[in-house]
Amino acid sequence: MEPLMLIFILVFGVFAGGFGSMLGLGGGVFMMPFFILVLNIPAHQAVALSLLGVIASSNLAGSIYIRDRISNLKLAMVLETCTVTGGVLGVFIALAMPVNFVKILLGLVLIYASFMMIKGSRSEEILVQREGRLALSGEYYDDVEGRAVKYSAIRVKVGLFASMFAGAISGIVGVGGGVILMPIMKLVMKVPMKACAATNNFMVGVTAAASTIIYFNNGVVDLYMAIPTVLGIMIGAYVGTRLMVRTESALLRGLLGIVLSFSGILLLLRAGGILVW
Amino acid sequence: MVSTEAAISWVLKAGAILSALLICLGFFIGLNIVWLGVLLLILTPFMRVVIAGFCFLSQRDMLFFIIALYVILILVIGSLLKF
Repeated sequence: MEPLMLIFILVFGVFAGGFGSMLGLGGGVFMMPFFILVLNIPAHQAVALSLLGVIASSNLAGSIYIRDRISNLKLAMVLETCTVTGGVLGVFIALAMPVNFVKILLGLVLIYASFMMIKGSRSEEILVQREGRLALSGEYYDDVEGRAVKYSAIRVKVGLFASMFAGAISGIVGVGGGVILMPIMKLVMKVPMKACAATNNFMVGVTAAASTIIYFNNGVVDLYMAIPTVLGIMIGAYVGTRLMVRTESALLRGLLGIVLSFSGILLLLRAGGILVW
Repeated sequence: MVSTEAAISWVLKAGAILSALLICLGFFIGLNIVWLGVLLLILTPFMRVVIAGFCFLSQRDMLFFIIALYVILILVIGSLLKF
């Protein structure tokens, strides 16, 4: 492959990692359509590369959020039992299905993600307090509001079920551990937004690793393309996390949302054989 | 005594920096170094689960020790699967 291509992937990776971390979606949502629609990389290979990027940005962001105790370690560990199980199952579902299945599912996930993104999350937060061994309570210091926020996660069973589903989706399409789990954690389990995003950022690495190690051991990871993908996303995620641009900017969310739904629709059209190139 | 969170944070940061260095070096030296870097990248989240497991064990928190063991078990099974 020519060096120009590597630079192209590197630059796009910086963009994907940067915006991904600012929006709390991870770089995968931008990398996947780029790999499949622009570079025409085979679906499974694209999934493996995208997951590598997810792990890289999660290692970086996770180390910061867990140090600052915004990620809820116990909540993450409980949900991870199901996300990793789903992650392993997802790889085998992906391999058993025709290649177009991956593209259709990816298209749907992207359209869903774009809706979540444009809608934003301004709903009222109701915090619950519980006692007990599996109460999964957490506490973090909110520097914007200048006070400690205490909460407990509730409806853990629903959370476990959603985690399994999110893990499987992430293993199949290389995106979406966080996209699917975040709204459930926030709206159903009543975890406050900041803890939700930080815990998710921390969790997606292990979820993606469960799928990626299988792809890696079976030679699906293209090492040459892994270089610009991983480095690009890491640079982007580092800058994005540092800038801490709270993307309340409705315009940016809207624009990127449109890009996502547009790529989702293109994927569906191409999987259906309506578009060929 | 280092807190569980601090230990995990350290493992993740070290893994992120080392794997990025290896992958970057591999670009100039050869793909086998890239392979090593990618492997380290994937193993970093594994390592933080192992560290968390040890910390829970030392705190006699058996429930969370078992939870960590289960996650490790699945990751090990996954890394043995062939298709």
